[in-house]
Amino acid sequence: MANLETSLKECLSSIDGASAAALVDYTSGMALGTLGGTKEFNLEVAAAGNTDVVRAKLRTMEHLGLKEEIEDILITLSTQYHMIRLLRGRGGNGLFLYLVLDASRANLAMARHQLRRIEAELEV
Amino acid sequence: MTRVTTTWATQETTSAALGALAAEGATGALSGERGIVYLSAGRVVHAESAFTPDLGALLTRSGAVPSDGWWDAVDRGGAQHRVGHRLVDSGRLAAGALEVCHLGALFDAAYFVLAHDTRAHRFRPGAVHWLGAVRSVPVDAVVRESDRRRALLDRIHPDPAIDTVPLTRVPGAGRPGLPARRGRTLTQVDGVRTAAQIASSLACRTYHILVDLRRLAADGLVAAAPPTAPQTAPVPAPGPDPAGTGWDDPDTALLRRLRDALEAL
Repeated sequence: MANLETSLKECLSSIDGASAAALVDYTSGMALGTLGGTKEFNLEVAAAGNTDVVRAKLRTMEHLGLKEEIEDILITLSTQYHMIRLLRGRGGNGLFLYLVLDASRANLAMARHQLRRIEAELEV
Repeated sequence: MTRVTTTWATQETTSAALGALAAEGATGALSGERGIVYLSAGRVVHAESAFTPDLGALLTRSGAVPSDGWWDAVDRGGAQHRVGHRLVDSGRLAAGALEVCHLGALFDAAYFVLAHDTRAHRFRPGAVHWLGAVRSVPVDAVVRESDRRRALLDRIHPDPAIDTVPLTRVPGAGRPGLPARRGRTLTQVDGVRTAAQIASSLACRTYHILVDLRRLAADGLVAAAPPTAPQTAPVPAPGPDPAGTGWDDPDTALLRRLRDALEAL
């Protein structure tokens, strides 16, 4: 059974075009685990910043009275995709997986499918 | 085994004592006023505080692990300090899920130990937690995260007492459309319970509850409960053990958990 580190490794090895991954607590903005960050791309900073994205969307949905849950948030840059996938499950409450993908190599549908499988290993 | 000097004892704060022990690569348990931090080779492997529900409470109350499954793992793995491994090996919990819950509990407890950053009480060299190795975190990451959490909470509402004392709803205060989670937290505020007890009953990580409670306090919906007088029972606040000494001993900690579990039946 996969632990946190192997789950993140699996994100990078099994998802085409994935270059960095992090598991983040969006109440505190803390990254519980990161893999693939570089000096130029600080994953801790990305984790904290994307926490604000998730919180803003959740707040907006509350203002709109939407009772739905966020499955994922996709941010499309010129050469990259940033995918934020919220974990469900009792213990996973308040966590998201953050994935950086190379837009020229990634297959978004496949990436979503693979992430769903990997996140099942992290859910309580 | 690394020889541990007494440098930690000269430090003014628990976080500085942790830093000194980390620099020596120490293994053992450092007790502060509000809890214990366990180190292995200078890294934090676990933390416990009476102000947060422990990992067992989180896992069993959320229904992730059935109560008897948890106690079976404690029975079989406790003496060898392998309770975590037991849970995973017996197929009750995925390794990743255990790590996520463990880190949540570790940072929650560390926040309380370090938020009230007084001089550390004592260090027991070589002491190992019965949960066993799950994940370890560098001391400076734990200290940094605790500082950051304290700053975030103070930015919402600068009253740290909300974190620890029994809370009450403010009479007459309206309840405008609260977000679901905050509304759920508010329903648990009953004039008796503390943040830790609310977190435990919702099977939720304490920091999340602290954020909700500080927001509710900032909105004037929640305040510290006035002390109940006259006292008929020993004062329950601020934690189950105000002296902060009794639960230092791992066996007492186990008994405390047993009592909590029995009460929860």
